[in-house]
Amino acid sequence: MAIHERSLVEPERILRKERLVIDGIDVSGDWNLIILPRVINDYDLDFAKEIVNSPDGKTINQCYQCSYCTASCPVHNYWDERYNPRHFIHLARLGLIDELQKRADVMWRCVSCHKCTHRCPKGVLVEEVLKVILRTMAKRGLIEEYPSKKFDKFFTEQVLEYGRIEDGELLFGWIEKQGYKVVKDPILRKPIPFIGETPEWLKQLTMKPIKSMNIGFLILNAKHMLFHPRTKNWNKFKHVLRKVMEEEGALAH
Amino acid sequence: MGVIGKRVAYYPGCSLEGAARAYDVSTRIVARELGLELDYLEDYNCCGAMESKNVTFMGTMLLNARNMSLARKQGHDVIVAPCNGCSFSLQRAEYFLETDKSVFERVNALLREGGVDPLDKIPHTYHILEWFYHEAGPQKVKEKTKRPLRGLKVANYYGCLYTRPHFYARTYAHAGGQDEDARPRKRDTADDDEHPYYMNALLEAAGATSVNFEPMHTQCCGGPHSLSDEMVSEKFVMMILQTAKRNGADIIATECPLCHASLEMYRHRLMMKGVPDVDVPAAYFTQLLGLAFGYSANDVKLKDNLSDPLPVLKRLGLA
Ligand code: SF4
Ligand code: SF4
Repeated sequence: MAIHERSLVEPERILRKERLVIDGIDVSGDWNLIILPRVINDYDLDFAKEIVNSPDGKTINQCYQCSYCTASCPVHNYWDERYNPRHFIHLARLGLIDELQKRADVMWRCVSCHKCTHRCPKGVLVEEVLKVILRTMAKRGLIEEYPSKKFDKFFTEQVLEYGRIEDGELLFGWIEKQGYKVVKDPILRKPIPFIGETPEWLKQLTMKPIKSMNIGFLILNAKHMLFHPRTKNWNKFKHVLRKVMEEEGALAH
Repeated sequence: MGVIGKRVAYYPGCSLEGAARAYDVSTRIVARELGLELDYLEDYNCCGAMESKNVTFMGTMLLNARNMSLARKQGHDVIVAPCNGCSFSLQRAEYFLETDKSVFERVNALLREGGVDPLDKIPHTYHILEWFYHEAGPQKVKEKTKRPLRGLKVANYYGCLYTRPHFYARTYAHAGGQDEDARPRKRDTADDDEHPYYMNALLEAAGATSVNFEPMHTQCCGGPHSLSDEMVSEKFVMMILQTAKRNGADIIATECPLCHASLEMYRHRLMMKGVPDVDVPAAYFTQLLGLAFGYSANDVKLKDNLSDPLPVLKRLGLA
């Protein structure tokens, strides 16, 4: 494979000599940079196949590497240049798993803004494809648990259980997962917002409706926190939902 | 005008029945004033938002198909959602159900198994802003305005998923793609994809002035990562708030409860850190329209906004 990606050249393989003399001729400046060849023979072609076979990943092969997605991406532009959707697609199609793994620390950072998908001239569902890449890596144990995945699972479990989401439980449940000591009432085991060891900003924000005597707001949210809103007739449907998710291995890892 | 229908299924989404009740209340007020009718979708479930889709594909199809089925049961072809996340999820399901036959069949079989009516027809989902614009429009807003938002400089924040991606939101006719059926078609009523202006138009009709807010009007607020990736979200929100402030905005108008919550939460955190130019408060565009239609600050639940837009509105004599 011709390496046309600068980032596939590891720093160890770039040799630069200060002075280079060949056959008595000083060639420094022209010939003093040598890149050692790299042989890659562990392509995993099944990886791309698995992606193509999923309904949300099948557009991956339409990509012609124009990089419009990367140019649009706010995570690439405003956070970390190593986050590069075009490159991830390239690596996934080639099946260069170890190169993907090297980027595992940034790959989860996609905020699902869909600028990439919107602008891709080839009709690749870029955001979906990136998530399928991550999902496939997770399925094969190639990537460790990352924060957004923890949150996604936490969220989905709440949907599965109740059919609905409740902001308070989501927020405080997540804070608790971050290692804060959230105080809960002894009977229903629901978090009490104003005491306990929560971040300062959260404390201040929860105090706001109290300070402004916004009684209606407080009562509504307290009620929802104590008695989680539920979808009626949910049980039979929940069963099917759980089955489908288990089939996909969604809850396992 | 008038291509969506005056009476539609209303999918509020979980958020609007809890922390974002101000959006729900003010939306109902505005709809009533504009002569439109929202038919509450009974017993709906969560759309899975931007989170569940990363864990399970079929699961999110099912979650949304169940809601579509409920809408069909109530006799509707059109669902309207006030949240970017909800309208995105429903439109995404619509896209896959329409373009992938195997998904459609599987979903219908599973719906039946779960005791829900299978889909005879796939209802279309619109964002509530698009619906307001097309079924009522700026003219109607102008007629209804009793207390113009004179002097109020608004930064109209649309967020990501209102017009994006065009595959789901159908905001842009695209020639690419190998599969003829999967090619996106533009919807007649769709807002401009890169430069949305419906909210500008409605609020301007109510007397407000829009400030230049490009390109941050469609910049991400951190979205599904606003709790799980705090550093990135904080930076994104900082860019949004500072752009608004430095372009002279008094207030940011929002049209999504998640964007709104994210802006308010990080606004507070940024202010605690002493970051300059981030103190612009946020209000739902329906709250501002409600005020213009003569409702009080209490009616549109302005107190619920944690960023406290009341002082600014009071100073201008609007609340
Ligand atoms: S914009 Fe589309 S075609 Fe271009 S690199 Fe990205 S995915 Fe590939
Ligand atoms: S959806 Fe993800 S990859 Fe695409 S532009 Fe947004 S952050 Fe970047």
